Amino acid sequence: MAAQGAGQRGARDPVQTEIDIRKVSKVFGQGTAAFHALTDIDLQIRSGEFFTLLGPSGCGKTTLLRVIAGFEQPTGGSLQIDGKEVAGLGPNQRPVNTVFQNYALFPHMTVAQNIGFGLKMQGRPRAEVAATTDEMLNLVKMEEMAERKPSEISGGQQQRVALARALAPRPRVLLLDEPLSALDLKLRKEMQGELKRLQSETGITFVFVTHDQEEALTMSDRIAVMNKGRILQLGSPHEIYHSPTERFVADFIGDTNFLELPVSAVEGAEATVTLPGGNGTAARLPDGMTPRPGEKVITVIRPEQAHLVEDGPADLQAEVETAVFFGTDTHVHLRLPDGQGFILRRQNVDHMAEPAPGTRVGLRLSPGALRVLRG
Amino acid sequence: MAEVTAGTERALRGGSDAARPARRRNYSVRRLPGFGVIAIFTFVMLYLPIVILVAYSFNEGVSQARWEGFSLQWYEAAFNNRQVRDVSVRSLWLAVTASGIATLLATLAALGTTRTSRFPGQTMIYALINQPLMVPEVVTGIALLIFVAAIKVQTGYTGMGYLVAAHTAFCIPFAYLPIRARLETMDITLEKAAADLYASPFQAFRYITLPLLVPGIVAGFMLGFVISLDTVVITEFVKSAGQDTLPTYMLGQLRRTVTPEMNAIATLFLALSLMIVTAFFLITRKRGV
Ligand SMILES: Nc1ncnc2c1ncn2[C@@H]1O[C@H](COP(=O)(O)OP(=O)(O)OP(=O)(O)O)[C@@H](O)[C@H]1O
Ligand SMILES: [Mg+2]
Repeated sequence: MAAQGAGQRGARDPVQTEIDIRKVSKVFGQGTAAFHALTDIDLQIRSGEFFTLLGPSGCGKTTLLRVIAGFEQPTGGSLQIDGKEVAGLGPNQRPVNTVFQNYALFPHMTVAQNIGFGLKMQGRPRAEVAATTDEMLNLVKMEEMAERKPSEISGGQQQRVALARALAPRPRVLLLDEPLSALDLKLRKEMQGELKRLQSETGITFVFVTHDQEEALTMSDRIAVMNKGRILQLGSPHEIYHSPTERFVADFIGDTNFLELPVSAVEGAEATVTLPGGNGTAARLPDGMTPRPGEKVITVIRPEQAHLVEDGPADLQAEVETAVFFGTDTHVHLRLPDGQGFILRRQNVDHMAEPAPGTRVGLRLSPGALRVLRG
Repeated sequence: MAEVTAGTERALRGGSDAARPARRRNYSVRRLPGFGVIAIFTFVMLYLPIVILVAYSFNEGVSQARWEGFSLQWYEAAFNNRQVRDVSVRSLWLAVTASGIATLLATLAALGTTRTSRFPGQTMIYALINQPLMVPEVVTGIALLIFVAAIKVQTGYTGMGYLVAAHTAFCIPFAYLPIRARLETMDITLEKAAADLYASPFQAFRYITLPLLVPGIVAGFMLGFVISLDTVVITEFVKSAGQDTLPTYMLGQLRRTVTPEMNAIATLFLALSLMIVTAFFLITRKRGV
């Protein structure tokens, strides 16, 4: 019922900003011991989106979530939730709920009491607490377990209860701190689908933390890639995967080829670079970068964006070092004429023969796939 | 020399010679010479006197050394002894009151030292709270004697208040330690989760911290209770006339003739203590979340 209402809220104004983070920083300690956990975070999270913070361990993901939830006060910047400044408000005064990494279910309460806790604290009438608890039990398919204690249910079930408990008060935003990291692979896949379903059914804004790039790519509407307390790149999974602007982002997400190539010409946001072997090809430049002709730049291309050519013109030549068969695809390790290594991923249709080590092959790059990285 | 060093090093690291692991597997402290003798001696010293005490509480005669047949007469005598009844009631009342107050104060102290951000002098506070564990009881006793005497002269009040206050202060560390241990092992994210789910600080305490703390509080109360019930030195120094507790009464009686009535009282005392300890284990195990 109310879940639909929340859905409409999201649908009515899909680009409304739910969380507006401006120049937020967080410093732990003082003086020489000061540690900058977050530096100048600028982030607008949209109403009803599935937003992911992705980054390696220690990059500040949890700290940012804790700042949003109100467990930590930022040392600088401003934070608005639903248009209201929340500086100085405690976690109990923010329309935000958290799913904790270790679930943090109350061990002395039943599953149903856990789920109803937020509503009870809000002072909702008994009947409403009971009705919403039932609705949530139903939503996460835990009706049979309502009277069990958290110690009497499995890890995956605890995960569902933690979700239901956080969703029950219908927060505007749900914060999820690596909620799936404690689950085994199969359960994890299952819960990924479950989370997506819950998000679209409730229309609540999800801010999801993970260090698993595949999880981020499959689940998110938008991803912010973080490193060392900063946001390096913000964009859709497509943009992050296909148009990384920083070496760190390209390296962190998926398999990548980095090629160091000289620039021969620059025109607007596009440079012409010289491939090993002498052919020129276009490469997209990141915003605000204009290398001089002759300068060497780092470019990036995904393994599946290069193709072996049987006949016809090739962009460059390479020698096969090894080919590793993975079932649906084969990874071909190549050596370019200038000595740089290159990995190519070929989809296996029909029964294709593996290229033999030592053979010389022609490579064609997908048009527009090559990108120049900053730095 | 070098060879010896290498060999020792290897031995220290666990050794690679095949014989060594085998020998280690068979190694057991039970095989050390004298292990059995020491163990038996220890248990005998621990329990035999108590067994004898209990046994002679059922003696027909008045002797503590010669068995003259089974009888419950000393229990009957103890129950009919007005004085014994009075001091028992006083002891229990004092233990419940002092331990109750001590548990309340200890709970507040434990919350104040675990649920606040670290403050300067925190270690000092631990030490101060635990004073009774460090200062010899007899020193505390004499200090209290002088202190209480001065107040008595000033105010003329000679009631049970002095004993309650002295026992309370003495019980606080015993109540404090299990409560603090419980708070420290409690997952702090539970309280965070409660706050996240709109609980005010008081509600988070009332619905999350307190229920989870109950086993610690019960343990603290029972420890304090047993300590108060048992303490002789402090009571002896602080009590006014007619304020004997069970232990000080028994001590007083022993200066005269030791009849098996004392054994009977001591046995009952022992039974009560055992009951409390058992209850304590059952409660903490059942509530053990
Ligand atoms: N209370 C604190 N005092 C000092 N440093 C802290 C504190 N909390 C976090 N940090 C530091 O801030 C950095 C970011 O921590 P954070 O927990 O946000 O990382 P994370 O991205 O969530 O990592 P993970 O993936 O391992 O959970 C870490 O280097 C951590 O040591
Ligand atoms: Mg974290």
